[in-house]
Amino acid sequence: MQNKQSRYYFLGLAVLFLTLLNSSYAEGLPPLTHGLSPVEKGIKAPELRFKNLDDDVVDLKSLKGKVVVVNFWATWCPPCRREMASLEKLHQASKNKNVEVLAVDIGEDVETVYSFLGRVDPSPRFQILFDSDAASMEKWSIRGLPTTYIIKPDGTIAYKAIGGREFDHPDILNKVIELRK
Amino acid sequence: MYKKPMSLSMKSIITLMFWLVLFSFSAAAEQKVQTDPVTGAKTWGTKVNGVHFSLTQILPEQLKAFYVNRGFSLEQIKSYTSSCVYMTVLRNDTAPGEIHYTSNNWTILVNNKRHILVPVSQWVKKLSKTGATKPALIAFRWAQFPPEQSYEPGGNWNQGMLSIGLSPSSRFDAIAKWDIAGKEFEAKLTGVQCAK
Repeated sequence: MQNKQSRYYFLGLAVLFLTLLNSSYAEGLPPLTHGLSPVEKGIKAPELRFKNLDDDVVDLKSLKGKVVVVNFWATWCPPCRREMASLEKLHQASKNKNVEVLAVDIGEDVETVYSFLGRVDPSPRFQILFDSDAASMEKWSIRGLPTTYIIKPDGTIAYKAIGGREFDHPDILNKVIELRK
Repeated sequence: MYKKPMSLSMKSIITLMFWLVLFSFSAAAEQKVQTDPVTGAKTWGTKVNGVHFSLTQILPEQLKAFYVNRGFSLEQIKSYTSSCVYMTVLRNDTAPGEIHYTSNNWTILVNNKRHILVPVSQWVKKLSKTGATKPALIAFRWAQFPPEQSYEPGGNWNQGMLSIGLSPSSRFDAIAKWDIAGKEFEAKLTGVQCAK
């Protein structure tokens, strides 16, 4: 009798579990994910040298010794827009931990980007670079926006993320900060 | 021996609930159609072997507005905006490995006959001849769903536009195909309708 009761109890739990699983399938906007894919060891980051919002040239080479988050994006790309606030939160949480964030805009002008940034909360304080010819897409083997690379202090690529992310998620934040060691 | 009538009915209810939930769960893994309450745009979505695939209607006026805001004139982008375009999502959540696809292997069926998609490179070539500016063409190229891509599991994904090349209100089935280390998989959406 007790066996029968516990069988119903577990059956009830199974029903509840499947109900929850089923409801989590509900769709709206595609979710921003929080995984980073490890990249084969020893692959050097390609060249990256563009002007920023102040018209100063920023060269990835000059950031050797730091962890660098390189995000390729555009204001017309919906997941790029959605992840921008979380990228700033990552920047705020890691800027004193030897981590630099660079967001490379593809093919747009300063006015367009500046007008978008003003609407992001929190407003990005990290470096925004301008690749007006989309030249980095081929160099960095990018097939879709957004794409993000995490570079180790020795200049090799540690992780890659294709598609929108929640950059302030602990899964990402911890992996990025761990790389400074 | 006396049996409590309540325990029998509890057993029946729980068993019935179990099968109902199992049934609805398996149905959800096949195809879901949702309508945006604000725009009325429909989304057809499915999940197969840990890979999510969906097509969302882009309404003709939304499509025109997007490209005019990127620097095209209505005339320059007319050939693209006059047929139906979908916001396409493919995401590797929990597939057993890295997935790879080329969208020219995907199949669009209209009344069970294969309909050929115009490749992104041909669209770019065509639009380059309209006198569109370089920033407009860059935005066009990179706003398209990637013609080829690989996604590791754990949430790698893209969202982009896919031109189907059919007239408004047309209906079709779409089959997305990918492989994992050479083994082929596919996800099918049926009865997808072009926006009016």
